[in-house]
Amino acid sequence: MVSFREILERATKGPIMSSRDFDMKVLIPKVREVVQRYEIRYDPETPCPSDDDLADRIHQAALDLYADAGTYVIDTERVIQFSRKEIEEAIYEAPREAYFGEGPDRCVFKGRKPDDSEIPHCHVGSGTDTTEDVALKMVEAYGRISKAKTVSIPSVTAFGRLKSAAGSPVETLAGISMMRIGREGLRRAGRPGMGIINHMSSCVQGISTIAASNPEFGARPSDGWLIAPQAELKIDYSSLNQVAYLTSWGANIGQEAGPIMGGYAGGPEGTAVVTTAYCFHGILVARATYHLTYPVHITHVASTTPDMLFVVSASGQAVSRNVGVPYYALGYAAAGSATRQYFYEAAAYLLAIQSSGMGIEDVHPNKAVVTNGALPIDSEFTCSLGHGMAGITRKDANQIIKKLIKIYSDGIKNPPKGRILDECYDIRTMKPDDDLRRTYDEAVRELGKLGIRFK
Amino acid sequence: MSRDETLKELGEAIVRGDKERSSRLVEEVLGEVDPLAVIQRGMMPAMEKVGDRFSSGEIFLPEMLMATEAWNEAMRLLKPKLLEAGEGVAKTGTVVIGTVQSDVHEIGKNIVVTLLNTAGFEVHDLGVDIPASKFIGKAEEVNADIIAASAIMTTTMTYQQDILDHLIAAGLRDKYIVLVGGGVVNQKWADEIGADGYGETAVEGVRLAKELLTRKRGG
Repeated sequence: MVSFREILERATKGPIMSSRDFDMKVLIPKVREVVQRYEIRYDPETPCPSDDDLADRIHQAALDLYADAGTYVIDTERVIQFSRKEIEEAIYEAPREAYFGEGPDRCVFKGRKPDDSEIPHCHVGSGTDTTEDVALKMVEAYGRISKAKTVSIPSVTAFGRLKSAAGSPVETLAGISMMRIGREGLRRAGRPGMGIINHMSSCVQGISTIAASNPEFGARPSDGWLIAPQAELKIDYSSLNQVAYLTSWGANIGQEAGPIMGGYAGGPEGTAVVTTAYCFHGILVARATYHLTYPVHITHVASTTPDMLFVVSASGQAVSRNVGVPYYALGYAAAGSATRQYFYEAAAYLLAIQSSGMGIEDVHPNKAVVTNGALPIDSEFTCSLGHGMAGITRKDANQIIKKLIKIYSDGIKNPPKGRILDECYDIRTMKPDDDLRRTYDEAVRELGKLGIRFK
Repeated sequence: MSRDETLKELGEAIVRGDKERSSRLVEEVLGEVDPLAVIQRGMMPAMEKVGDRFSSGEIFLPEMLMATEAWNEAMRLLKPKLLEAGEGVAKTGTVVIGTVQSDVHEIGKNIVVTLLNTAGFEVHDLGVDIPASKFIGKAEEVNADIIAASAIMTTTMTYQQDILDHLIAAGLRDKYIVLVGGGVVNQKWADEIGADGYGETAVEGVRLAKELLTRKRGG
């Protein structure tokens, strides 16, 4: 594989181009070209396709795209380019397994295949904004879910009167504080070795990540450290600094990307191709051992509409069939937490990604914009469905998803607000109130009638 | 081809994002049709159509950007003629827009810029990673009506508040309509920091810009 030093050299020696030219003259026309060349079509009747050939064509289209476009470096205004042969070689050599955590809590996250009979990697938690007073309790509650293999810890952005701001010293303190809270919460849950794989959702700047990674605060290379690009296929020096540091430390790096459906990638077909191409960027530029994707819709943001399900499912299949790296997806429900609609949307998304060969993570309620909007019961739902539906095929998943979409599609535009943690949990015991338990049980019962099993 | 047909075709070329065709058609009609009429009868309805199609999800950002490029190309030819004739296109208002400090996300902001342009606003796009003082400096320089700030992350939202703090400190708070938007921003946050409005989507943001401006002008 092309070495990281070589990547850094290309970042300073590659062709010079303005960011706008990269968007307008490279990315947009190339995406259109490959979508046409490989005849990639989205069918609203098939949000979760089971066409292996389509998945392989998306992979080929993504290869062509990435070989033509490469990764744009914002700071140097240059493009890191790769030949198709270099990309294929990187795919061949990319790790198919990532190991997280320590001791008895250590786990392996493997690449899966579409229609795989194995239980998917169950990742729980959320990096959404959470108040300081409940963050520790949240982590502890996540850690107590025995089926969960790895965890995301919340993002706390307000500490008393101090508000965290990107690039400010408060952000550095927030990162350190979250590291301590995350480790302590898992210790209290009796799983001190569990891997936290969303470092650092509290921080944007590389300097904060590096500061918080001091083992004194509980950080470990066996956790997972996320590197985010800019849409689409762009990276900055702050992220490359993190890669330089984390690779030198031997830490697990996660390539995270949120391609925008309706943005530069165009419609669902182009977005599926760009989502797949991010995987190659992740292997080569971010030096990732695991990959996270969360495509978002440009206007309604939610990822549970048929076009968005197609994007994540089709690209997930392209990667799981042809690349085989540990790959999971994060969805955003329109509905707020503690609502029936949330569970229906979450079920559709989880079935789409699980049957497509990906690992699963809690679908985030309320498009992840509400403070204390994520609930531990979301994680219980994710893991129970993941275990109960092991072995589901894409074809069966598609049938159930279509029925679910019919139930919730009207609620996407004006979704129910739901209740936040403070309103539906006893914070002292971290138990859901009777109303929420009833809503959950009813949702599970209704979903059972559609053929969804929970274990 | 009659003049009306040419203007219709010009509109269609803009909708398709066909730069070459739209500039050829502008050259064709320039001697015969008043430049302002070319814009008002041929080009503006086309951009409205582009905005509507984007809002309804029929087209996406690439198509909208290409249409904007075709519009800009046509305007490049029309502007000198407008100046010669002493004419100007009435603008809806002036907006200074950017992504806040430490935040380099631009797609959402770029969509708002394009939609504001199509809605007839004069837009000053500062780009990304813009400190509060630059928003205000530019707004003062161009005598803006609206300051619009985008933030995509919870850790950069704070810089939207900074803009309001700077405006208050400079005694300029009431001079500008301040709009906020971005992935993690919501109405609650907009209320908390005292912004005048929040658009969940680009379309909503532009609608709000027009509405608040009309209200401010006593409409």
